[in-house]
Amino acid sequence: MNFQAHEDLHQFQSAIDHLAARYRQAWRATGSRFEHAPQLEAQLQEGGFFSALTEATLGPVAAAFMVQTLAQLPVCAEVAASALLGPLACPEDPGAIAVIDGPLQRPARFLPTARTVLHMTPHSVSVASLQSDQVEVIDSLFAYPMGRLRTDATLQWHALAPDTATRLSGLWQVAVAAELVGCLQAALQSVLDHVKQRQQFGRPIGSFQAVQHRLAQASCAIEAAHWLTLKAADSGRAIDAATALGYAQQESGRISYDLHQFMGAMGLTLEHPLHRWTYRIKLLSSELGGGSRQLQQAATLAWPQARAA
Amino acid sequence: MDAAEKHGLSLNWTPQDRALRERVRSFLAQHLPADWDAIARHGPGSREQTEFSMRFCPELAQAGLLVPHWPEAYGGVSSSPWEQLILGEEMWAAGEPRGPQYMNVNWIGPTLMRFGSEAQKQMHLPAIAQGKVVWCQGFSEPSAGSDLAALRTQAMADGDRYIVNGSKVWTSYAGLADYCFLLARTGSGKAGISILLVPMDTPGIVVRPIPSLIGMGDIHEVFFQDVVVPQSCQLGEQGQAWSIITYALNNERVGIARYAYSLRVLTQMVEQLQREGRFDDPIVQTRAGQARAACEAARMLVYRVVDLRSRQALPSGEASQARVAVIAADHAVADFATEFLPDTLCGQEFAIHLAHHERAIAAGIASGAAEIQLNLVAHQYLQLPREARL
Repeated sequence: MNFQAHEDLHQFQSAIDHLAARYRQAWRATGSRFEHAPQLEAQLQEGGFFSALTEATLGPVAAAFMVQTLAQLPVCAEVAASALLGPLACPEDPGAIAVIDGPLQRPARFLPTARTVLHMTPHSVSVASLQSDQVEVIDSLFAYPMGRLRTDATLQWHALAPDTATRLSGLWQVAVAAELVGCLQAALQSVLDHVKQRQQFGRPIGSFQAVQHRLAQASCAIEAAHWLTLKAADSGRAIDAATALGYAQQESGRISYDLHQFMGAMGLTLEHPLHRWTYRIKLLSSELGGGSRQLQQAATLAWPQARAA
Repeated sequence: MDAAEKHGLSLNWTPQDRALRERVRSFLAQHLPADWDAIARHGPGSREQTEFSMRFCPELAQAGLLVPHWPEAYGGVSSSPWEQLILGEEMWAAGEPRGPQYMNVNWIGPTLMRFGSEAQKQMHLPAIAQGKVVWCQGFSEPSAGSDLAALRTQAMADGDRYIVNGSKVWTSYAGLADYCFLLARTGSGKAGISILLVPMDTPGIVVRPIPSLIGMGDIHEVFFQDVVVPQSCQLGEQGQAWSIITYALNNERVGIARYAYSLRVLTQMVEQLQREGRFDDPIVQTRAGQARAACEAARMLVYRVVDLRSRQALPSGEASQARVAVIAADHAVADFATEFLPDTLCGQEFAIHLAHHERAIAAGIASGAAEIQLNLVAHQYLQLPREARL
């Protein structure tokens, strides 16, 4: 066991932190529910960051770390699919990647700017190139650019080999879990900053035990989700990926509720970035069927029926 | 190239770690008696398990598996915190046959090594290392539970001895203990608390078991009336108790791999549901997955603390986070039982399962309430301001 970053991973983390710093400091209230940063995607592509998954000294742990760190930004970027799926699913310059999980006509994040689309079902993964005129841009509550395939769009789907599809399913669970953890971490930090400053009854609201206990519980769950995600990235085991995503998804609802309670009416405005993470968390909590589905999968992997016979 | 070199971070066991785990499992398979489940049914704090530990721990010591994490000078081999954890996981998965002696080896012994006089070390450490002694922890009092600094038990200096008067409550193992790690007041405030290592057969000590939900003989009241304790039994300096127990409890909070116990019980329950043909139900599967995820979450937070300790860092808020998660895992598994297997809480067929269920209600209270752990997370980990005191 070793929870510390090796030198290569440490350097990779530093490079990502450096890149993220520019966007972290750039928060401004735009009056928009989300702000997409395609320039960040381009920088990651040009910098070769999306090849981390298949680099011997980095691998899925580094890719998951990148997704998590960049999810902490108030702007959103298509990182998860490019980092965890791209190198295996479509290694030839795929551009931004969107993932449709379930029926093809479902709305999916980043579809309006994606140049590659992956269609994921429980037993298969197919990939197709995409033109912008094949996508209908749609409004949504979620803090991502959302779209759906036009009903008249004709895509050339290529089914991936079953073993690749299985591997990609696990990696997508890791990717979504990492993005969810990053959003939860940033949302918690923004609320911690607020409750240390905001005074009511003559003292910071963060000094009240009722507030402290719920934030402490949130921190326990987020920290556990963080390590479960890295464990899943490291092990490559299906059961670990399902557990990590399922745990993060199940915990998200309670945490989001508490964070908004403590942000008060300020959290209802578009002036504070909390809503950016909240409405990403909500979408990510529903990915791949949601937390119950992942944890059911983990249980069937942990206790296959044959064992009882 | 192993995983650690490849990714710089490895959450997998080394071959040596796996070999140790197999060795512990093999030892348990050979040395736990056929009626172990019946003994373990009473729970790790019970009189039955305490008595069993006095037979079992010397065997464990003989095999080098009681205090391997201790330095060579005290009978160990300076094994790593990770090896200590593996030992703890396997013991807890078996229902903790070390009974009260996990406490001796995890924190009483290491605390004596750090703060004890040479005479105290020579007197106590060999007995602990050989698995031949039971200790109890004289902390809580009727008016000092979570607010431990409010304790009133007095140790009045009288020449080269103390005269102790007062009472302790909720004291586990006291009925069979040889020694008490006693907190007593020698002055005012936190700086007026001292630690005395008191033989439990000293005249003036009366122990009374408290009938409880976690088994008869698990918790006790301990009364001290004009108990004479030589000053040589004082651990550290007079008034040093607070810093010593802070050190001790940071060790204690790392030591309990109770999620392994919860996971074993959950697995037993799932196997029972499979035998009954009820595990096909997606609702049951999902809830089993939730309970298992709670155990795995606790495992990761405990591992993170062990990782910090393995680098000589002193965990603070992280240890409390781990305890909160371990308690949540206890309850997730107990709740699974009440939802899907309430019938197994009747009769005696599911022995360890019953013991786990009984202990779960105490999980958030024993060794410092869960709410105190949340306070510590808020202050030490999140740096939130302290609540104004009345």
